[in-house]
Amino acid sequence: MSTHADSHEHHHSPGLQHQFEDMGQQEESVSIGMWMFLVQEIMFFGGLFTAYLVFRSRYPMAFAAGSNHLDAFWGGLNTIVLIVSSLTMALTVYYAQKGNRQLQVILIILTMFFGAVFLGVKAIEYTGKYNDGLVPVAGLNKKVKAAPGDAPAEAKPCWEVSHNYDEKPPYVNPRGDFQWTDCSLVKLGQDNNYLTQAERIGYFSNGLIDVNKFRDKVQMFYWIYFVMTGLHALHMVIGLGLMAWLLYKAWIGTFSAEYYMPVEMSGLYWHFVDIVWIFLFPLLYLLGRHFLH
Amino acid sequence: MQTQDSISGYGGEPKLNYLTNGSTLKSWLLTKDHKRIAIMYLITVSLFFLMGGLYAATIRLELLTPASDLLESATYNKVFTQHGILMIFFFLIPSIPAVLGNFLIPIMIGAKDLALPRINLLSLYIYWVGGLLTLYGLMQGGVDTGWTFYTPYSTTFSNSYVMAVGLGIFINGFSSILTGLNFIVTIHTMRAPGMTWFRLPLFVWAHYATSLVMILGTPVIAITVLLLALERLAGVGIFDPAIGGDPILFQHLFWFYSHPAVYIMILPGMGVISELISNFSRKKIFGYEFIAFSSIAIAVFGFLVWGHHMFVSGQSMYAGMVFSFLTMVVAVPSAIKMFNWTATLYKGSVSFDTPMLYAIGFLGLFLIGGLTGLFLGSMGLVVHLTDTYFVVAHFHYVMVGGQVIAYLGGIHYWWPKMTGRMYSEFWGKISAMLVFAGFNLTFFPQFILGYQGMPRRYASYPEEFQVLNIFSTAGASVLGVGLLMPAVYLAHSLLFGKKAGDNPWMLPGLEWRTASPPPTENFEKMPVVTWEAYEFGEESGLDLEEARRRDASVVV
Amino acid sequence: MQTTSWVPIFPEQASTFAWQVDLLYFYLIAISVAFTIPIVVAVFYFAIKYRETEKYATPEEMHGSMVLETVWSIIPFVISMTIFLGGAIVYFNQFTPPDDAMEIYIVGKQWMWKAQHQTGQREINELHVPVGRKIKLTMTTEDVLHDFSIPAFRTKMDVVPGRYTYMWFEATKPGKYHLFCAEYCGLNHSGMGGFIYVMEQRDFDNWLSGSVAGQTPVELGRDQFTNKLGCASCHAGGASQRGAVLEGIFGKEVKLADGSTVIADEQYIRNSILNPGAQIVAGYQPIMPTFKGQVTEEQLNGLVAYIKSLTPGAGSNTGGGMQPAGTATTQSGEESPLSAPKANRGTQDAPGSNPNTPVNNNR
Repeated sequence: MSTHADSHEHHHSPGLQHQFEDMGQQEESVSIGMWMFLVQEIMFFGGLFTAYLVFRSRYPMAFAAGSNHLDAFWGGLNTIVLIVSSLTMALTVYYAQKGNRQLQVILIILTMFFGAVFLGVKAIEYTGKYNDGLVPVAGLNKKVKAAPGDAPAEAKPCWEVSHNYDEKPPYVNPRGDFQWTDCSLVKLGQDNNYLTQAERIGYFSNGLIDVNKFRDKVQMFYWIYFVMTGLHALHMVIGLGLMAWLLYKAWIGTFSAEYYMPVEMSGLYWHFVDIVWIFLFPLLYLLGRHFLH
Repeated sequence: MQTQDSISGYGGEPKLNYLTNGSTLKSWLLTKDHKRIAIMYLITVSLFFLMGGLYAATIRLELLTPASDLLESATYNKVFTQHGILMIFFFLIPSIPAVLGNFLIPIMIGAKDLALPRINLLSLYIYWVGGLLTLYGLMQGGVDTGWTFYTPYSTTFSNSYVMAVGLGIFINGFSSILTGLNFIVTIHTMRAPGMTWFRLPLFVWAHYATSLVMILGTPVIAITVLLLALERLAGVGIFDPAIGGDPILFQHLFWFYSHPAVYIMILPGMGVISELISNFSRKKIFGYEFIAFSSIAIAVFGFLVWGHHMFVSGQSMYAGMVFSFLTMVVAVPSAIKMFNWTATLYKGSVSFDTPMLYAIGFLGLFLIGGLTGLFLGSMGLVVHLTDTYFVVAHFHYVMVGGQVIAYLGGIHYWWPKMTGRMYSEFWGKISAMLVFAGFNLTFFPQFILGYQGMPRRYASYPEEFQVLNIFSTAGASVLGVGLLMPAVYLAHSLLFGKKAGDNPWMLPGLEWRTASPPPTENFEKMPVVTWEAYEFGEESGLDLEEARRRDASVVV
Repeated sequence: MQTTSWVPIFPEQASTFAWQVDLLYFYLIAISVAFTIPIVVAVFYFAIKYRETEKYATPEEMHGSMVLETVWSIIPFVISMTIFLGGAIVYFNQFTPPDDAMEIYIVGKQWMWKAQHQTGQREINELHVPVGRKIKLTMTTEDVLHDFSIPAFRTKMDVVPGRYTYMWFEATKPGKYHLFCAEYCGLNHSGMGGFIYVMEQRDFDNWLSGSVAGQTPVELGRDQFTNKLGCASCHAGGASQRGAVLEGIFGKEVKLADGSTVIADEQYIRNSILNPGAQIVAGYQPIMPTFKGQVTEEQLNGLVAYIKSLTPGAGSNTGGGMQPAGTATTQSGEESPLSAPKANRGTQDAPGSNPNTPVNNNR
């Protein structure tokens, strides 16, 4: 707890706001405020993680199937990029405390660079999904009409459709719908008898695997994927805005050993956004991959 | 009344108070003064209350007859939905915290302002933006999903403006998050010297508990409503049963916030009542620590009982039992408060000013509201009672009989501090009694209707329910008059009310030890607290003798 | 039963749960009174006895009492546990359907209840059950959430799209009881309901075999139209109704959606009831469900007669042009009502459209 009894030695620091007695009180306030903000952020993402857990435990095969079409390379790269950006962010705080303006500026620029790389990779991934017809919203995928010469796709059972990209039939999607043809994992689950109760109802019609019903569940995975990563990317964009502001402030030499709270608080935010990704990456990209191998 | 100003602890009329310190529009719109922000909240919240009240009046008029003759059912559905949305998200949740809490917490703890004044202003603007977006949705044609937005009706079937209103509520949520965050920070770091945790007024404790709920709960409804809006926009989503999604998950997420939100709508009221009961009995509150910690207990347990809204929704029977058990547990802290308030009156010196009448009314209404909560927590009974008028009556007893009554009591109590003027005590008492009587006439019959089985949200109903509905509508007109009266005499007091003086009731709280209205910086010099909370004797440092002389000198 | 001259306080006790729930209710009322009276008396007694006698008096300080706090924490806790236990027992009974129950399927849809008996009879907005038999309802919905609520039985249950929910009861008293939809479901929520008919076993058997006594065709038709089949929920109600206007159409030309016209004669009306999708009136959505297998020929004739009577001058002398076939309730079992409950996609926010127009989402 803090009282401000000994508040008489005001040596007004540049950043001291009128409602506070001294910098200690101000820093404590700002710091508690930021932590409270992060708590609410956790609750905000918590709702999404709950939704993820509920549906993952209901439809693990659909989630594994969807997960297999996310590119763990890009996801892994982004993870590394964000971890490095966390390092540069932490160093920014350190040099702000030291009052080293030049290194601060460089490190902020580096942090922003990594943030931008992250968003660029995300854009590449999203484009890939667009091209493959994996955006869960009807009409938002690449629209390709069937070429007149193409032979109609052979009527193979959906569980024999290969999940290998190279063997896929040409992409035909006149209305830009969400597309999914492969239900080999359902067959696998059925043969090994590890489908959940919800799956035994949710993937089958009249006792047969129904690719449309399976597609719906995969579509839900992609819905969750896009909402979670989209909101995360939005947080990254906000983070980049914060960094731009910090860059300006650092450039004009605002921060010193006495006044560096904005840097530290922005750092907390940046680390938080990184940590969310640290959870998103394994949950969305990695869990369930082993079903393929 | 000319001598009274000199008896204030920090004497002398300040040259400028927060109201006169700057009169341009800009000085209001860009203010960082928590008191001005509170006044702007007060005005906005009152407008929303008026709108919600007009919807309520329309509902009661429609229900006067069994057939849906005044309103078509399509219109009726919108009216009750919009009544709920405006009253809950835009009136009840911000009412006490954003108006009274904003105004008083810094003063009560001896601070110059909230810790984060710009965030405070931001939260007002967010509230306005959310409110305007919602109003836009209502103007465009309204929304007919019920305030609960149950899927899949809200996502797939409703043809009303769910998106605009949903986003309005989403945005508004951040206003409440930021307010809660600000209160927690302020209470932690801004207390004056000597203002220890256990010298805090219980009003502040109640707001601390409320703020916890705001921070932990509101983001969950924010993401839920966002998912709902996205699902409507995209035509696909996790709540859509057609593709294997789960409408019940929506209910879980919704009530995870909305049940604790019920406590956002009562805890601050309990804080106000603790102030009123103690101050108007001039006696230290009985069991201070128990009241303080029961607020925290309510906030914590409040997060564990959301499932009691879903006893017949198809959730598992055993989940239902756990939720029912926890619901029974959460009743205990409320009972503790009730007993402590009653015990505070014992051997006090009870005066019956308008705020105290509201407080006594609160005790009665909250008692009924709380006890009928037990009916609805008991599973065997709730199967019959849920979704009937019993539920409607119960939550109105808690929210209106609790929060609104406490809010009115608080507004009357702190009115002289906020405006420097005294309202008409006569009309105040009349209005308090009308509200109490009208409220009971309106909502008590609905308990009986509910047990008979009349479902809620019905535009038309079988004839045998008409008699009690007429009683209810008649009561509502009394209630309406009672609620409109303060608007008149409080406005009148602004111009013609007599000067209140800094401490009209000679009470020890810090808010009574500065000028009325307070200066922008709240105190001329930093107060140092040397007395316990609710100290009415000599230790409080108030000169009661002089106050008596002051009163004697006034020609009645 | 439903109309009494006095203000009823309690709904009729008509199931085996009723007394249990009422007992619990009385117990809680007793507890409430036992808490309310002492507290209210104490508040008033203290407030008056210790009213202010001297301005700004300073009464003796009291700090609270650990003993009192403990006592008034433990007593409410213990009492609340008794309430919990009582509630849990009743709830457990309500939510554990017995094995030997007679099963009936219920499907909710905006805004009617469809019931199908094991023996094949179908009903809309009403349910006939025998007294003294355990009945288990297996329920789902075609569109949004609904709630099957019977206050006289003290029980209700939500119906949820995409899954089944269950409830059971045993009626104890013959009579006619309200059936409500208790979960808000949109436009005509308050009209979505009807009656539960509890019958002696013998009457129930008679009902099963389809005998309808002593009504003229028009009366019979009106009864079917407004109560039994729920036609009125779409075909009556003025400006907001969803189905074609029937007043005054008999014998007139009707413009169809495909541009052709047809004379609204008996045959047309009959076809439209049995095969609604075939000839859609211009300006209406093809949303009407088929009533094939749900109406007897006799009832069908009554409906035709009733619709005829809505056109003044058309004459309502007979039961229509067809010979009454007079067969028993059709025992058709095709198309189980539970097959593939599938929520229909609705329209999204359309800023240009008039939101007061009810949407026809059901195809």
